[in-house]
Amino acid sequence: MSLSSLTRPWAATSYGFLDASAKRELRRKMLKAIAVPGCQMPYASREVPMARGWGTGGLQVTLTLVNPTSTVKVIDQGADDGVNAASIRRFISRVSGASETWDTLAASIVQSRHRVPEEVMREDQILVLQVPNPEPLRGVEPNISIARQMHADADYGKLWLTLYEQIVRKGRIMQGAAYPSMVNGRHVMTPSPIPRWDVPKLNMAKHLTFLSAGREKRLFAVPPFTRVEPLVFSDRPYRVEDHADLTCRRSGVSGYFMNELPIDGGGSAFEVSDSNLGIKAIQQAEGTPVEIGKTWYRNGEFSA
Amino acid sequence: MAYVATRGGEKAIEQAERLFRQDLGTIDASRVETIKQTMPYLIDRVMGEASLYSEELAALALAQTGGELSEAVLVLRAWRTTQPRIAIARPVQQDEILTQRRISAAFKDIPGGQILGPTLDYSHRVLATDVLEGKPYAPPAVEAAAKPAPSRQPSLADWQRQQGLVAPANASDVAPEDIPDLTREPLLFPASRAHRLQSLARAETGGVLALGYSAMRGYGNAHPTVNELRLGEAEVVVRHPSGTEFSAGRVRVSQAEVTSKEKGGFLELGFAATFGWNEVKVIAAATLDLNSAEAPVGSPVHEEFYLYHTESVEASGFCIHFKLPHYVTFQSILDAMRDAKAKKAAAEQKPAETRQMESAE
Repeated sequence: MSLSSLTRPWAATSYGFLDASAKRELRRKMLKAIAVPGCQMPYASREVPMARGWGTGGLQVTLTLVNPTSTVKVIDQGADDGVNAASIRRFISRVSGASETWDTLAASIVQSRHRVPEEVMREDQILVLQVPNPEPLRGVEPNISIARQMHADADYGKLWLTLYEQIVRKGRIMQGAAYPSMVNGRHVMTPSPIPRWDVPKLNMAKHLTFLSAGREKRLFAVPPFTRVEPLVFSDRPYRVEDHADLTCRRSGVSGYFMNELPIDGGGSAFEVSDSNLGIKAIQQAEGTPVEIGKTWYRNGEFSA
Repeated sequence: MAYVATRGGEKAIEQAERLFRQDLGTIDASRVETIKQTMPYLIDRVMGEASLYSEELAALALAQTGGELSEAVLVLRAWRTTQPRIAIARPVQQDEILTQRRISAAFKDIPGGQILGPTLDYSHRVLATDVLEGKPYAPPAVEAAAKPAPSRQPSLADWQRQQGLVAPANASDVAPEDIPDLTREPLLFPASRAHRLQSLARAETGGVLALGYSAMRGYGNAHPTVNELRLGEAEVVVRHPSGTEFSAGRVRVSQAEVTSKEKGGFLELGFAATFGWNEVKVIAAATLDLNSAEAPVGSPVHEEFYLYHTESVEASGFCIHFKLPHYVTFQSILDAMRDAKAKKAAAEQKPAETRQMESAE
């Protein structure tokens, strides 16, 4: 027996970049996060070859989940070819040998910055959301130790108060993206800065969602079939963005979340934010056989 | 397919990176060696912030990032985190450090003596423009002292403890392998002493200086006196599997101990140490440590505040991430704003419209 027979050949980095000790810690924290839905789990958050704030939290979770048979889709603001999405997807496939895709239906892991795809995700898919700020209480309590205590006490009064004050001052809740939501009736989480349009997609979803903030070193999860309820008052219903009647100028689809593009001389044009849904619609119109999955919204109405 | 054609993000990012690298030209071993030889204090700063002691890798990181410091630190940290911990070195004691500079502002003279060592403290900071006129600057040779300074120096705080000026140090019975390791565990609050000092050791120099300076100016409650500042080289003593301890080499280290006023009959001490020689950083960091005991939550000298905000990789990364597209978030804000405005306009218009209709009748 020799040393070389006991060890693997030398490699510059481990499979999937992160070493075994980093992955072990992450797996433990991911399991804990599933066990206590919506509760933030601190983790070491190793440095990865990307700047903090650029998806390093999502990346660490994806690198821990990925294997050579995985198919990975990465989107930034809904688009697969956003510069950072392309960079992350290329890195994941380079270090793991996983396949790349733009198609939500073909992906086993979807890593996303600030969107949930429009096509319904299945039981065998995992959504990994990149999170800039994991703390829904940050706006009312910047100190992380105090905020942690507030979560322990389920003390969300200050959060309710800010929502109430918005109604009093502006006539409506002004929270844009990252709408605070109660998970499993216990922990308030930020769903990450996804638009309000996307929050209902997490409620009682078939897929598992991980939310991971690399810079802030916190991860949390929404397991399949778990309640995710936006904080709303009983007489003021939750309102998603008013996009139901907008039509994509390229693909012609309507009833989905749109990007607004200012046009010369005033006014706006719209393009569907889930860019690959738009591409598939164009392909279908051109006669290419392509499968468009069932979508969460139909005719602009959410109907899971 | 027009949808795809107008984008092309993948090609753009590849060319943008090429443009950056093209400007730096070919990087070879000699460039790395030149940086290593000529910029020791820059190398030290980068090694400290990367918490990775390798002059060669630090020089390489500087070469491949063109001296963009936060990028250099990031590539080193990302490389470092993939390396296994193969051994845990014996903790370094102050009186074992091969000391090259050691001064105290608390006393005119101290046991072991004030050793100035290499410093620009008392020099006139004049730019050597002659060099650009073709007259190289050759530094005059150092004249050795008649009696060499002792290579190892006692700790001033030990003398102060003997005199009852500083509280006795409680020897910790934590085994070296059980010392919390910030690079493998999250930083939680209140932070352990080990985590606080480790976090300061790898903190961004400019950030520590800014917050430490704010404490010195009065946003903290303790004005520091430098009890002891030390630059030296510490042996990295590790244990061979056979059980023998040996030195795997020496690393340049800086440490500062600052003191202020009396508390409970003893002088309070603030401490900081880092890889490499970086005096500004350890004095500022020790000042933050000194001030944090009674710091109000949310003040710059509160440990949660200064540890989070001096973390170089996190701070710089988050700052530059604002360049990423945020149009989904922005769209969400616009939607709420437009609706609120429309509501307001409708509310204001209603009475006027009612009047108009009446007059038309």
